[in-house]
Amino acid sequence: MDLLTHLVAQIFPFSWLEPEFMRRALLGLILIAPACATMGVQVVSMRMAFYSDAISHSAFSGVALGLILGLDPRWTMIAFGVLVGCGVLIFARKSELSSDTVIGVFFAAVVALGVVIVSARRGLARYFEGVLFGDILTIQTVELWAILTLAAAILIFQWLAFNRLLLLAMNPPLAHSRGIRPAPWEMAFGILLALLVMVALKAVGLLLVTALLVVPGAAARNLAKSAAGLFWWASAQALIASVLGLYLSFIWGSATGATVILICVLFFVGSFGYRMIKGAR
Amino acid sequence: MSAPAIILENVSVELGGRPVLENLNVEFESGCLTAVLGPNGAGKTTLLHAILGLVPYKGHILFGKERREKRPRLGYVPQRLDLDRGSPITVRDFLTAVQTDRPLWTGISRERDQQSRAALERIGVAAILGRPIGKLSGGETQRVLLAQALLRRPEILLLDEPAAAVDVSGEALFCDVLEQVQDELGITTLLISHDLSIVSTHARNVVCLNRQIICSGPIAAVMTPDNLKRVFSPHTDVFDHSHSHTHPPA
Repeated sequence: MDLLTHLVAQIFPFSWLEPEFMRRALLGLILIAPACATMGVQVVSMRMAFYSDAISHSAFSGVALGLILGLDPRWTMIAFGVLVGCGVLIFARKSELSSDTVIGVFFAAVVALGVVIVSARRGLARYFEGVLFGDILTIQTVELWAILTLAAAILIFQWLAFNRLLLLAMNPPLAHSRGIRPAPWEMAFGILLALLVMVALKAVGLLLVTALLVVPGAAARNLAKSAAGLFWWASAQALIASVLGLYLSFIWGSATGATVILICVLFFVGSFGYRMIKGAR
Repeated sequence: MSAPAIILENVSVELGGRPVLENLNVEFESGCLTAVLGPNGAGKTTLLHAILGLVPYKGHILFGKERREKRPRLGYVPQRLDLDRGSPITVRDFLTAVQTDRPLWTGISRERDQQSRAALERIGVAAILGRPIGKLSGGETQRVLLAQALLRRPEILLLDEPAAAVDVSGEALFCDVLEQVQDELGITTLLISHDLSIVSTHARNVVCLNRQIICSGPIAAVMTPDNLKRVFSPHTDVFDHSHSHTHPPA
């Protein structure tokens, strides 16, 4: 990991990146933000923003369960998020309810469980600030390894699944006629997305993690002229917003995650303006 | 009748505990267009999904004169694509994605692009290759869907009410293209429809379905007023429609 943070310092030779924690924060952000942006392309096309919202809100319960069970809450949070994700996907497939309804039920259950545990054990509330707002500046080596592993897994998944998920989102029977079985691919996507959401909480917090998935993809739709353009525009914007957001949060003393998201939103506004002007011509 | 391409033996489908198809026994002739005709809710789309292996079924679905269970290459033309108008996904992207698993974000090879272009040229819409698929008209979308189905060189082509979202002229154009492709390639084609004029104009055989097989056979033998009443409703009347469609100028 030292090699990677050293590499970050070589690529971005800025004085504000001299402190070790800033280099680690930047490494974490430039791994997690493009991963979110690329998965966000499918989140938008498969209409799964509400799903990622439900997963992120399960963090309350995951952390609370870890604390009362005496386990490391960072990992119980991730494990609980994946469990909730699997539950939503399996229940939506087996029941005749719409997926929005199933997600709504799980959303309510995980938030209520978290609130019940926290309100019954008042000493736990102080642990939740980091979950709500994220804190990339305190990222640990083990968390960076987790992010690096996940980013590599997502890159491999995007290589294998990009075309398949595109067809599945457009018409599942058509995808099936091409030998693409919907269940395993949707399940794999849902599990990876749940993992990503929980890991990305460290960067931007519960309140903004869905924005990191959706906003770069939405801005990319205004600029891209093809599927490849969509993928690369979303990744590039997330990457630039990570570097710029970290720098501006350093200058302003603001929360890094929120600053990164604000820049993503500005990109979206700019891209929307570009599209409007182009459409008017 | 030539050798059957698809054989259904005692095929039943239940969805959510409700019977949708009951004990179907029918053969679909190879190398020609067979229409599956029936009212809404008759189980036509479910039948296609069973042939595609998308829904669980009881009984046997067999293919070819060897009566094998393994599915041959199937081309499927759905009613529509679930894609919003603002999506930048192009016809080129879509036709490439159905040909290869190599991700679109790594670029499109010249070979794949030529195959996509050739597929569109065959059905007369090569000019739309670079256009966003969400901005196509209903008729253009249907032709792109036909092109993607043909790209795989299917042995059997399954069309699920392909003209449902198309206006009358687009529907006629699509069916003409389909007939031309069918004549050219001799693919076994199953066309789901509840449009009697399309069926009577373009199909050689008809299977009438309303959860069960009501009747099946060559079009002239099956499309009788009595059979149509049995399929659609006892309250339906069938009128002879043989007058000229040339109208005087307004």
